[in-house]
Amino acid sequence: MIRFENVEKWFGSLHVLAGVSGEVKRGEVTVVLGPSGSGKSTLIRAVTRLEPIQRGRILIGDVDVASREININRLRQRIGFVFQAFNLFPHLTALGNITLGLERLRRIPKAQAKERAIQELARVGLADKANTVPAKLSGGQRQRVAIARALAMDPEIMLFDEPTSALDPEKVGEVLQVMKALAKSGMTMIVVTHEMGFAREVANTVWFMDEGKIAESGAPGLVFGTPENPRLKRFLARDGDH
Amino acid sequence: MVQILQDYWLLFLVGQYPHGPIGGLAMTLFMAAVGLSLSFPFAVALALARLSPYRWLRLPATAIVHVVRGLPLIMFIFWVYFVVPLVIGRPVGGVETLVITLVVYEASYLSEIIRAGILGLPKGQVEAAKALGLGYFPTTFRVVLPQALHNMLPSMVSQFVSTIKETSLGYVISANELTFAAAQVNNQLMTRPFEVYGLLALTYFALCFALTSAARLLERRIASERGGGLSLAAAPA
Ligand SMILES: Nc1ncnc2c1ncn2[C@@H]1O[C@H](COP(=O)(O)OP(=O)(O)OP(=O)(O)O)[C@@H](O)[C@H]1O
Ligand SMILES: [Mg+2]
Repeated sequence: MIRFENVEKWFGSLHVLAGVSGEVKRGEVTVVLGPSGSGKSTLIRAVTRLEPIQRGRILIGDVDVASREININRLRQRIGFVFQAFNLFPHLTALGNITLGLERLRRIPKAQAKERAIQELARVGLADKANTVPAKLSGGQRQRVAIARALAMDPEIMLFDEPTSALDPEKVGEVLQVMKALAKSGMTMIVVTHEMGFAREVANTVWFMDEGKIAESGAPGLVFGTPENPRLKRFLARDGDH
Repeated sequence: MVQILQDYWLLFLVGQYPHGPIGGLAMTLFMAAVGLSLSFPFAVALALARLSPYRWLRLPATAIVHVVRGLPLIMFIFWVYFVVPLVIGRPVGGVETLVITLVVYEASYLSEIIRAGILGLPKGQVEAAKALGLGYFPTTFRVVLPQALHNMLPSMVSQFVSTIKETSLGYVISANELTFAAAQVNNQLMTRPFEVYGLLALTYFALCFALTSAARLLERRIASERGGGLSLAAAPA
């Protein structure tokens, strides 16, 4: 479903992605771990061309993300993206955040878009917050609205960039729960996170990134049970009990 | 001063109206409001052009803004006063001249305010819109501009204050506004310029001070709104 082929990217002279290859199969969840600055965000942002890459290819099905032939906005509608900072539109209500895409991109009439949006809000447990603006929601609620906003576009793939890192510890669970349910429903997901428990429980594959490469990958049992890469060992020793 | 106010307050307020053309403070406010409002769409267009990735849009827009900002308003007033009649083939009154001039002039200043408002938005806003698959126009008109304009409301009120003061230059082309009214009163009384122009100064000051205070209040309210907005806790270790 998503294939990385020798992906390379530079920020100026900084080699942020130094040849990433890997595949995420349909319906599978890949968790990306790694120290700060290892290129995790850049990698998943590249999947929707929020960051262009300079070498290699990223394929969604058989579509090359970098291709100038494709309509990038169409492609982005097939891929949901959830940000660490939520990035909700503060001038719109929870409902408005979700209907914007439906009305403008799916050309769904207002009343129907509203109905659909409320369904999505109900799915993340926030049907009662439809008319609340983001400023009046807690962090966990904001992130769940952001997830609902992405899901409303009926994506085939969901990308998460540290979705719980900006949350108070007691709000992390509610967001992870939504993500677990999503994984169970068969969504193809790439999740950058430090939540080891989530990785263990939900991931089909774990990628450990270091210095712009996938330094180790495999089933969570293997990666956490018998890590080989010395940096991964150190990373797990420090971070493992999260 | 009180005597003058008692005799001439109506002239200060609305000019000769209803026996002649409307003028005075009413006309001052009218010209400032209409000038600034009409300049608004041009200002948005200029701001967007200046932020465009395309050079052929960015360069001319940047040039226009710099040229306008680098020249005194009175010069534009003369240009419009003498050139527009030649172009359209009929004479143009003082009020029209001043409004046209203000549209051109304020568009540049307002565009800088709007541009700053757009640049001041968190990068995540445009990214979130892009990630949804929204194109340039829905992103700009549904996500970016509503927020940028809202945040810049106080600056726009300040710009309105500047515009009010600028309309006093309409006096030189006989636009029938507040300063013009004061000059008329002064001409009738002949001997009391200090009081007349003191009154004029007081009127401008009261108006502009009130508006500036309103802008400050608005600024505080918007700041506190946004304060409750995005809060990014530190990432965990
Ligand atoms: N827009 C940018 N311009 C320049 N350098 C950047 C930019 N974005 C990221 N970088 C750099 O690229 C490297 C990889 O960044 P990236 O955000 O992908 O790391 P990360 O693994 O997500 O880290 P973190 O865990 O801190 O989020 C870092 O050194 C970062 O400073
Ligand atoms: Mg990151």
